[in-house]
Amino acid sequence: MANQTLAHSFRESPILRPSGLIVLAILTATVAILTVTGSRITLSLLAQATIISILALSVGFLARTADLISFGHAAPFGLGAYGTALVFQHGIPAEVGIWLVLVAVFALFFLIGLVVGKLNGIAFSMLTLALGQFFFVAISKLRAITSGADGLTVSLPRSLFGLPGRTYQTPDGMFIIAAVILAALVILIYLFEASRTGRLAIGVRENEERVLFLGYRTKILKAAVFATSATIAGVSGVLFALYQGFVSPEIVHWSFSGNALIMAILGGSLAVWGPVAGALVFFFLREWLSDLTEHWLAVLGVILIAVTVAWPGGMTGVAKVLRARISGRGRKGGGK
Amino acid sequence: MSFLFRCENIGKTYGGVVALKDVSLNLESGQVHGLIGPNGAGKSTFIDVVSGRTPGLGRVFFEDREITGISPSAMRRAGISRSFQRTSIFPALTVRDQIELANHGAGGGNTDELVEMLGLGAVLDTEAEQISYGQQRLVDLALALVGNPRVLLLDEPAAGLSAPESAVLSGHLEEIAERWNVAVLLVEHDMDVIFRVCKVLTVLASGRFLVQGTPADLRNNPAVIEAYFGSTA
Repeated sequence: MANQTLAHSFRESPILRPSGLIVLAILTATVAILTVTGSRITLSLLAQATIISILALSVGFLARTADLISFGHAAPFGLGAYGTALVFQHGIPAEVGIWLVLVAVFALFFLIGLVVGKLNGIAFSMLTLALGQFFFVAISKLRAITSGADGLTVSLPRSLFGLPGRTYQTPDGMFIIAAVILAALVILIYLFEASRTGRLAIGVRENEERVLFLGYRTKILKAAVFATSATIAGVSGVLFALYQGFVSPEIVHWSFSGNALIMAILGGSLAVWGPVAGALVFFFLREWLSDLTEHWLAVLGVILIAVTVAWPGGMTGVAKVLRARISGRGRKGGGK
Repeated sequence: MSFLFRCENIGKTYGGVVALKDVSLNLESGQVHGLIGPNGAGKSTFIDVVSGRTPGLGRVFFEDREITGISPSAMRRAGISRSFQRTSIFPALTVRDQIELANHGAGGGNTDELVEMLGLGAVLDTEAEQISYGQQRLVDLALALVGNPRVLLLDEPAAGLSAPESAVLSGHLEEIAERWNVAVLLVEHDMDVIFRVCKVLTVLASGRFLVQGTPADLRNNPAVIEAYFGSTA
């Protein structure tokens, strides 16, 4: 029964359904066209959007797996970015240092998860907001380590992880690197959801009390999910630091967490790809609107309110409705 | 006589209100023990306290070993399982996934037999939110039964079921107790189910022990009738 279930879950994994493949094909085609025909600015935007979509993915992963909304994911993002900058500043071998940064983010947020994991809903969100702001203030004030508001520059070595250092700071190079990492993370999340631990996490999300009465301890699992989500945000922070070559406290501010949350809401959490699509749309919509008007933030706000009211499930919700309609029509057609 | 599961002087107070006071009850293997009483008698509170869902007073023994206050997960791993008044399953998971989850958590072994007995084979690969309410109640029962528990605490398993569905459930409960030698405590309002499957009944009223006996003894007991209807007339 166990093997059958794993196979079944993977078969049922949304990325392998026709609609998932269509979404994947559309995204790949769009990105390929932009890569080939797009200007350097478009490519740069695409690289940034892909990096930030990993942050949105981390927020969406937490919402999807644990039904928890984080207002503080800029903290692990910022720790990943600052950690990377410090690795280069202190001459620590980068290939080891970056992994250590990510392990440290996981360990720190696992410990935090053991405490905040007891909370749900608004209480959890408010606590993550407070935690995020704590890290923002700490990074701003610890001038001896972080240079405070002046920020830190990231000087890349000649070679990093087998690639020339400059590759990480060119739009096309970073876009490909970020896209590969993003794809790997999405696949890993799908595999996690298909695993027994993933199903247990969904069980905890849906009915934690029942899971306890089935003989499980849930505290460790909840902390691990929180820490995994934070580490994904940390990966995004590492890529951000490598690409921008500079980090400053703004990336740890709550408004940065808010943007990631907006991207996750826009994309929806009914499918793993939701926050990624939300981030891409958010980025390009923001750029387009800021070209049209200086009050672009207000227009963006109105659009987001309209989207949230009209499609509470975000883009994944729309995709689900469309899929249901298409398959319903298909069934009707088949029955004739 | 040594009982498999003993509950001594179980009590619970909410603020200043006594919900349950000094209720003692013993369960034997292979026997369904009914716990009945009018609404507010303290039946569900009794299960909640002895299963560790809510803190309370009194002592609980399993195989003569005191287990008072152990965590719900430890209780399940020890062989004591429970269900809830409201259907308590995982809507987004398939029936197969949640039975496997329960199987792994409880130490497993009897899933195929359970699926066959409860007639869940046809809906194994369906998400629980897509199946009928009656089937969801059976999934709920399956989750409680996975892993061959020695003691089963059931809180209104027939709630919301139609008469034919309740009759089917009664058959399952008899089979569970007799074939698997499980000690079952059954809280239930459906008297057809109670009188069909229970060998012993304990009646509560206003959080206190009222009377205990066989269904035949209690069917026309004036104290029981008064507790339910307020008068023996």
